[in-house]
Amino acid sequence: MVTVTDLSSSTETCTQSAPAPRLLDVRGLSLSFATGDGELPITRNVSFSIAPGERVGIVGESGCGKTVTGLSLLRLLPPQSARVKGEILFEGTDLARLSSRKMRAVRGRDIAMIFQEPMSALDPVFTVGDQISEAYRAHFPVSRAEGRERAIAALAEVGIPAPERRCDEYPHQLSGGMRQRVMIAMALICKPKLLIADEPTTALDVTVQAQITDLLRSLSERTGTALIFITHDLGVVAEVCTRMITMYAGEVVEDAPVDDALMRPRHPYTSGLLRSLPGLSQRRGVLPSIPGRVPPPNRMPAGCRFRPRCSHAAAGCEHEQPMIDVEPGRGARCWRSPDLVLPGAVN
Amino acid sequence: MTATKSILAVRDLRILFPTRDGRETVKAIDGMDFDVCAGETFGVIGESGSGKTTLGRALVSLIAPTHGHILHDGIDPASLSTGQFRKHRRDYQIIFQDPNAALNPRMTIIDSVIEPLEVMREGNDVSRRRRGIEALERVGLSPETAGRYPHQLSGGQKQRVNIARVLTLRPKVIVCDEVVAALDVSIRGDVLNLFTDLQREFGLTYVFITHDISVVSHVSDRVAVTYLGKLMELGPTEDVIEQPLHPYTRALLSAEPIPLPSTMRIDKRIILEGEIPSPVAPPSGCRFRTRCPSVQPRCAAEVPAWRELKPGHAVACHFATPDGPPPDNQKASIAP
Repeated sequence: MVTVTDLSSSTETCTQSAPAPRLLDVRGLSLSFATGDGELPITRNVSFSIAPGERVGIVGESGCGKTVTGLSLLRLLPPQSARVKGEILFEGTDLARLSSRKMRAVRGRDIAMIFQEPMSALDPVFTVGDQISEAYRAHFPVSRAEGRERAIAALAEVGIPAPERRCDEYPHQLSGGMRQRVMIAMALICKPKLLIADEPTTALDVTVQAQITDLLRSLSERTGTALIFITHDLGVVAEVCTRMITMYAGEVVEDAPVDDALMRPRHPYTSGLLRSLPGLSQRRGVLPSIPGRVPPPNRMPAGCRFRPRCSHAAAGCEHEQPMIDVEPGRGARCWRSPDLVLPGAVN
Repeated sequence: MTATKSILAVRDLRILFPTRDGRETVKAIDGMDFDVCAGETFGVIGESGSGKTTLGRALVSLIAPTHGHILHDGIDPASLSTGQFRKHRRDYQIIFQDPNAALNPRMTIIDSVIEPLEVMREGNDVSRRRRGIEALERVGLSPETAGRYPHQLSGGQKQRVNIARVLTLRPKVIVCDEVVAALDVSIRGDVLNLFTDLQREFGLTYVFITHDISVVSHVSDRVAVTYLGKLMELGPTEDVIEQPLHPYTRALLSAEPIPLPSTMRIDKRIILEGEIPSPVAPPSGCRFRTRCPSVQPRCAAEVPAWRELKPGHAVACHFATPDGPPPDNQKASIAP
């Protein structure tokens, strides 16, 4: 067990001597919310791990639990109503058990996060320079002047022209793409080991989205910051990430290298998602879709949660489905997976 | 598509809005000319600020042109009396992006669906209800849905209700403004398939407005590319998607994230610099010149003429040829 002083002070030294380097190891994370009608289960037994510098996409449709999973890693869910079970091992330390004070030392320092809507994440009454340098000064005892210098350097790093001038501007003076760049500058100023990005390009136009995804990928490659990219857009994952985790109805259903998942998905849901996308070349004709809808959290079917919508459902699917290793480095929550040949993005 | 009768004729359309302080003018649409043919699906693609939403609203007379005309089947709705216009506009309907915002949360589904018929004073309570139920069944919703409230339905079901509501009027033209943008991928296909079926059954004309190239290329016969209130390119969908003529269209297509493995994404990606300028003070000459990788001095001086370079395929670029857009300048940033 790494002590917390190690965690907040060490930058490069790895105090662990585990064989496989794992930056983040999420084990059996289950989340529920207390409501007037009792506990509402949201995610169940979510497990995955991230290697240093790895870029992992978490994909799924609305309500699958991808956003709450991201928030729970940094313990950003309301403690009054959210019940979190499981372990969040970050460099060996269980974040789920850290005191609030120690957790604050991790947030923004070792793990940073950016969100979909940059305007609601920025304070309208402070300049962007103030906000970026505040993120740095919260963790490092430097002067205002040095904080400002670092903010300017961070703005330059994310490709903002004339950073000395932009530094003194307010969020409303910037375009949507610039604001998201400011958020990225703020998130990366402490050189975190992990950046969690929750739909960071969804509110942006497609030409600006291309700029931001490109920036995130190249910054991650250059600085070695690992990335968790939460999105509903499989195209964005294909371009940014090296691994793809598919979630459905609060569970991880597939975990695979991104190219493999796109070419040969091993879970029927991943396959269905890929086939539902209207391709640029395929015109007219009937678009495939997944019948039915995601069951509400309090009425999940027993066994495989995708079973009512799955065209491969068979006797046996009503049993609880564990993640199985379908190939080295690939898992799927489907006992039929070894026998199924599922269409992917190309057929 | 065989029909060539123009059902929507847009002529020198300009729509200007004053800014909040009244001192400046937002040029939402700054000169557009095109026709939508009866029975076709006409796609309109553009990023925010391109004027596509304003255009959609203007096409169904929700916004009056500041300048120019929109003819509905040869008739200028602005020339009609209030009574005539009321009857006329039922043929030209619109469906919006957010299926929640379009339904009154305090009205049952059937009441929302038959409200247009009540407004039109068509039939009696019994016949209206019957038509409402028929419309719900036609869009794939069970009759039990009729008595429910919007909050009891999923997003996809709510969008079906909005489609049913428009169908009760038996319109000729439906403008679809980002109708699947709010829906999850796995049900998007279903709703798009429904649109296609309804078109076949009722001979509808669609104007499909979206920022999503894959959606527009799937449903449209022809596609118009808009940028800062102007058309950049217009042509048959296959032509525009497979061999774009305008540098903006090419960049837009290249920016679309494609869910293919890295080995299959061979195309060099063009990443445009900067963002769309403000429609209050658009650039002189060609509006795209500030971000264009092929910009030349002439682009600032002269507004590009609208040139038909291939049959039915026109473009607003000085340097485009029938073979494609002009080559990039050296300074253009091309990422692998």
